[in-house]
Amino acid sequence: MDRRQFIEHVAAWSAGACLATPFFDVRSILAAEVKPKGDSLLAVAKGKDYAALVGRVMQPLGGMGQFVKQDARVVVKPNMGWERTPEQAANTHPDVVKGIVQQCLDAGAKRVLVFDRTCNDVRRSYAKSGIQAAVESIGDSRAQCVFQDESRFVPVDIANAKSIKKFEFYQDALESDCDCYINVPIAKHHRLTKLTLGLKNIMGILGGNRGEIHKDIGRRLADLNLVVYPKLTIIDATRILLRNGPTGGNLEDVKVLDTLLASTDTVAADAYATTLFGMKPEEISSTVAAAEIGLGVMDLTKIKTVEA
Amino acid sequence: MRRVLWIPWRWWRRAAQLAGLIAIVWLFRRTEFSNADILPGGENLFFRLDPLVGAAAMLAGRQFIAAFWPALVVVGLTLVLGRFFCGWVCPLGTLLDVAHRLARPLARQTNRWVALRANRKSGTSLSEAKGVVSQPTTPFVPQGVPPIQGMPPLRYVLLIAVLVAAVFGFPLVGLVDPFALLIRGMTFWGDPMFYRGSVASFRWVGEGWATETVQPFAKKHLLPFRAMVFQLAGVSAALLAAVFALELVARRFWCRYLCPAGAMFGLLARPALMKRVPAGVCKSCGQCATTCRMGALSADAGLSSEACTLCMDCVDACPKRIARFRFTLPTKRPVKHAARPVDLGRRGVLTGIAAGAAIPGVALAARLGQPLPVPPYLLRPPGAGEDRDFLNLCIRCGECMKVCPTNVVQPLVFEAGLEGLFSPHLIPRLIFQQSYCEYACTLCGQVCPTGAIPLLTEEAKHEQPTGKAYFDHNRCLPWAEKTPCIRCEEMCPTAEKAIKILNTFTITDAEGYEVEIMQPVVDRELCVGCGMCESNCTIEGVSAIRVQRPDAPDPGTEFLLKQGGPK
Repeated sequence: MDRRQFIEHVAAWSAGACLATPFFDVRSILAAEVKPKGDSLLAVAKGKDYAALVGRVMQPLGGMGQFVKQDARVVVKPNMGWERTPEQAANTHPDVVKGIVQQCLDAGAKRVLVFDRTCNDVRRSYAKSGIQAAVESIGDSRAQCVFQDESRFVPVDIANAKSIKKFEFYQDALESDCDCYINVPIAKHHRLTKLTLGLKNIMGILGGNRGEIHKDIGRRLADLNLVVYPKLTIIDATRILLRNGPTGGNLEDVKVLDTLLASTDTVAADAYATTLFGMKPEEISSTVAAAEIGLGVMDLTKIKTVEA
Repeated sequence: MRRVLWIPWRWWRRAAQLAGLIAIVWLFRRTEFSNADILPGGENLFFRLDPLVGAAAMLAGRQFIAAFWPALVVVGLTLVLGRFFCGWVCPLGTLLDVAHRLARPLARQTNRWVALRANRKSGTSLSEAKGVVSQPTTPFVPQGVPPIQGMPPLRYVLLIAVLVAAVFGFPLVGLVDPFALLIRGMTFWGDPMFYRGSVASFRWVGEGWATETVQPFAKKHLLPFRAMVFQLAGVSAALLAAVFALELVARRFWCRYLCPAGAMFGLLARPALMKRVPAGVCKSCGQCATTCRMGALSADAGLSSEACTLCMDCVDACPKRIARFRFTLPTKRPVKHAARPVDLGRRGVLTGIAAGAAIPGVALAARLGQPLPVPPYLLRPPGAGEDRDFLNLCIRCGECMKVCPTNVVQPLVFEAGLEGLFSPHLIPRLIFQQSYCEYACTLCGQVCPTGAIPLLTEEAKHEQPTGKAYFDHNRCLPWAEKTPCIRCEEMCPTAEKAIKILNTFTITDAEGYEVEIMQPVVDRELCVGCGMCESNCTIEGVSAIRVQRPDAPDPGTEFLLKQGGPK
């Protein structure tokens, strides 16, 4: 190797190295203004066949076709953050998720993604929750239970935020990449927030240090819901966890209710779900904070409840 | 007799080598969680095939380990066939052969240099010495080199040292065993590089055909789930790289001069029934001797069955087609070849024993002869038990670190003395929110070849806590700052939460909001020491809740210094 060759090599290699340097997708997205909700219609359905229950609870809202248009990119966000079995009531029931995904596919969705940012190891949680297997059992390549890609969390500035001005969100759940975001939490006990319901389920699309949210959890959850406000919230109360939440593990803490709630108003759904635990909506700080900034209605008398 | 389809012997050998290589890569890939609590089994097979590992673990652990039955099979086959394992099976040997092929232009230079040095003493001229190595005598067979003159057979010294050190309870085997070197290098360095390299390449290629078809396939079948992070990755990579670099000095340098497992196979191969015929080298030709990658053939002493790996190159290279291997009963064997002495003098034996005895001595002297107090934050994998016994049984193979889904199992540096090097320990919070011991997971015990980490059921695992958590109330937000948090309580995985709320009260914050503060404490009867709280603690830097060894004393951090001690 002579000097010329050496210089050529150095130039070529360093050019390659520079070009290969991964660039980070740092962008800020301003949250949309809060759109006042017209009416807060809440559908409640009871039954043992959870997949069929999804169809019934959607009827008062006009069916899934109202939300999922032809070729829509859909995200179904259950709570599957824990390595627990369905009967332990720490995760959304797989049959409920399967029913929702199936309905989205029937409505003509182009793509249905199911994911969560888990607390236990993501592979173990997806497997033990039964949701991965349930989605795969549909056998439609449009529906996929996917692992989140660490590089797809983007920082978002939150306009109008009261308590948390900026946080990382998962790209695929943002409005730019998702036409219909369906929020499918399980109703369960949580020591800090008393209950974890629809508003708190947003944790699953957040990156970074999620513990930060805990320092002012009610208002922060409300702020974060400004960025991704679910088109539809279906609360899984087929089984609810009464104690030792959000992890559970003891079947004695589980109460079977065979109930599903559905609404376009997450706050209203949360407010109603609170009553299933014998509590009042005012006790849940996130419900109060969200209602305060106009994300929805928490006054039970103003919520139009329809049994389906 | 004319054969219609004659497949040369070395192709059979290469096929077997390829199979061995595929096997270890396949098993390595399977050493990962894949949707089932119980792994399919056999992930640690190569360690259990290794009689050196078995012998060292049993000597140091002072117990018979039945899991090493495959090693007994290998020993039996070696007694019949000879040192076949090194030539036909060992994946490290195969990789060295591949590396030699790839680096042949470089190797030729160094080979010539070694040959020159070797022959200068014996008075060979430069041109003759060159001729020995640079003119390929047969176009298809890679060139070997003669044994390096005066190079002591370190492999025997290492073998003796490993076994003697094991008797003294010092686990030297993990530092020199070929599979431990290979698997650690692959786990700590190779696999993460492979993953990151593939991510970078696909990002470079950009969205398109490659990311739609190739990437999902690679993710599913070839790549690890994520790029893991390991302490001592550089050291492991350097050790493995050194083994490969020695290939530039001589073919199979590691196997010839250093590998203690190879030395063990060599000793077992001495009485083997499979022998080369003729045992010597024809004076008129000598092609086999220059071809041999192990330098096992010499004109005066014939074939050394301790060195011969039955690679069959000499059979294929023989111009007269007279060389072959066949079963020979010991009684029919010519006396002069059977009596060839072991490549090891009295001095070598003494050196090995002295080294094996001295290394534990040095380790002991480094701590003034006292047993090393185990640091309180040194957490061992679940069920590891007494640290002394654990270290004796552990062979530092790195399997537990490979399989751990959360990356919490890490190789130790010197915190447990010299003898703790590369042994597994848990570092919760090494990766924020990710590394802790997964509550329902028992994978490390399933892959441990020696049972140093026992095979536990989920229930049994919870009865043998890896540690106990203690708060530092001077750092914990609800205690020190009157800020709501209890992230630890949320994460605590026991069915009845091991983190309890001691005090609940309401304060008015700076903005006039009423805020409920809950101050947590640990119920150490319920705590299993998983470290999920430590990993997820929201404060910056060191966690406000830390897991200590179950036998460590109370660190005394569970009261507020500001408020004058415990209430």
